[in-house]
Amino acid sequence: MLNDRISNQAPPSIRDRNEPCISVTHLKKQYGKANAFILDGISFDVKYGTVFGFLGPNGAGKTTTLKILTTLLSPTSGSVYIFGKDIIRKQSEIKRKIGVVSQNPSFEANLTVERALDLYGLLWGLHDSGVRKNKVNEILSTFDLESIRNSKNDELSIGQRRRVQLAREFMHGEDMDLLFLDEPTVGLDPSARRMLLDYIKKHVMSGLTVFFTTHIMEEAEYLCDEIAIIDDGRIIAFDTPTGLKQKYGGANKIIEITFKEVLSESFIDLLKKIIISSENSDGDQRRRDDTTNTTSRIDINETNQNAVTITVNNAEEVISEILQLVSKNGMQIESISINPPSLEEVFLSIVNDENSSRDNERK
Amino acid sequence: MHDYIVGYNIILLVYRNIVAAIDKMFLIWQIAFPVVYIFVAGYAYSALIGDQGITIGSLTVTYVSFLTAGMIGFNVMNGSTIAGAIIWNDKRNGMFQQILVMPFNKIQYVIANLITLILIGLGSAAVIMIIGFPTIFHDINVTLWSIPYTIYALVAGSIFFGSFTIILSTRMKSSEGYNVISNGLFLFFAFVSSAFYPAEGLPQPLSAAFYVNPLTYIVDITRAGIFAQISTFTNIEVVILGLLSSAVFLIATRSMIRMEA
Repeated sequence: MLNDRISNQAPPSIRDRNEPCISVTHLKKQYGKANAFILDGISFDVKYGTVFGFLGPNGAGKTTTLKILTTLLSPTSGSVYIFGKDIIRKQSEIKRKIGVVSQNPSFEANLTVERALDLYGLLWGLHDSGVRKNKVNEILSTFDLESIRNSKNDELSIGQRRRVQLAREFMHGEDMDLLFLDEPTVGLDPSARRMLLDYIKKHVMSGLTVFFTTHIMEEAEYLCDEIAIIDDGRIIAFDTPTGLKQKYGGANKIIEITFKEVLSESFIDLLKKIIISSENSDGDQRRRDDTTNTTSRIDINETNQNAVTITVNNAEEVISEILQLVSKNGMQIESISINPPSLEEVFLSIVNDENSSRDNERK
Repeated sequence: MHDYIVGYNIILLVYRNIVAAIDKMFLIWQIAFPVVYIFVAGYAYSALIGDQGITIGSLTVTYVSFLTAGMIGFNVMNGSTIAGAIIWNDKRNGMFQQILVMPFNKIQYVIANLITLILIGLGSAAVIMIIGFPTIFHDINVTLWSIPYTIYALVAGSIFFGSFTIILSTRMKSSEGYNVISNGLFLFFAFVSSAFYPAEGLPQPLSAAFYVNPLTYIVDITRAGIFAQISTFTNIEVVILGLLSSAVFLIATRSMIRMEA
């Protein structure tokens, strides 16, 4: 579990800089005048020496934003400044200081891992072959690539190729100030994933700024200082991971119960009744506080039919009623836990709320 | 600083193209294929043809000399196809997008590919010239006036075939489609040309088909330069090849600029 999040500690001189590393204002993107806006006026800043998480469901506008920030696409309107420089006019200067690990694989099929890293270093301006060789050896060791240093990229597994793709970006030399990571851990095993996240953290501590997109909320929680959630081309939430949980998780709690026997349909119906009645009794409170998310629900574990996950905002009351029900039905509980909502729960809740309100607007 | 010199970026990309694209198989293909033609087919067909040789302008040369000069143009065509392969692989393996987020732009990428294809085309011609030299040296009859014709044919030939494969690689969506079309067309280019046999004396429809094929012009001009047999018809071929190469080059450049990352 990636639950031991440590605050990134880049040198104060970097983190305290007043101007943002990335500044996006009213950014819009439209493919053809007849089509809808893929990005509909988004604005956000990314501070120097921090990890900025950019999350959203598929098709929300993440990749389009990333393509604009990495100069692959031009915006329809709005402004983007990176290192205080306009992305349209100072493209070349900006590109010298950024690294990009895109979601799709990219590799030189005919080259060995070592040769590909060396070539990449040369392209990034490491002209001294001795310096390059040392850097290649350092990267091979750090990313655990020594055993495949003489293998051609074409012969590698998906995970190995992904590691090379990530490692390659650190051949950038000492000049990389900003790294874009688009779902960088796809295809990596847990230890490689953890190694990568820790390596990034280390670089953030020495001043690197990271723009990070992922679908894995645990990673976002572990790594990110700030998170923006985008949906349908608009930023719908922006805060620290803790701030998002406080703001959008509300008083919700997650109750996880594992029973000793498989749950029957009739018992699940009784559980649902308890949740619905508890929600109704809490309705007045909810109406008073719009920002508190109180979407109660029950999820049956598909792989283990003995277990249920219940999301409610009056956990103690619901548990007491469930215990009475269990006792009345002669059932036995193996384990029970109450947890605050995870970032994933919060993310789902924010996106679902946004979808609901959009559906209501359409009606 | 190297970093801010646009030309240096192009040199880096040319270097990268050559390092990433040329592997052992490519080199074997580039050398073995024409060598088999020159030393196996060349001498085998010479036995059939006998001592009469092949007439080029006012000169009669051995079939092996005729074929070696043809193979120089033929290898330019083979070598230049790598330009299309570079773009095809860059698109398929994600390197096109990756290069564009590095300190390179699309124009630099396009220019680097064009330079690469000319270098590889000329390199391929040089390889055959060296390998085939023992078979051709007694018939070589170059002059200061004829050498530029050969160089022109090789450069224009590289541009034509390199640009042609670039157009294919930017338009095709699947590897299968790319391979089927490029192999099919190059089979036509190779064998419906004057690379292996003279166009004179062929049945009229076949002779006409030879002159629909740019490889015929490349090979004819190359031979005319090597054997110093420049005629009015050679100059017409020079103009036609120039026009064809320019047209295909412009389409290829436009296709590369329009490629989306």
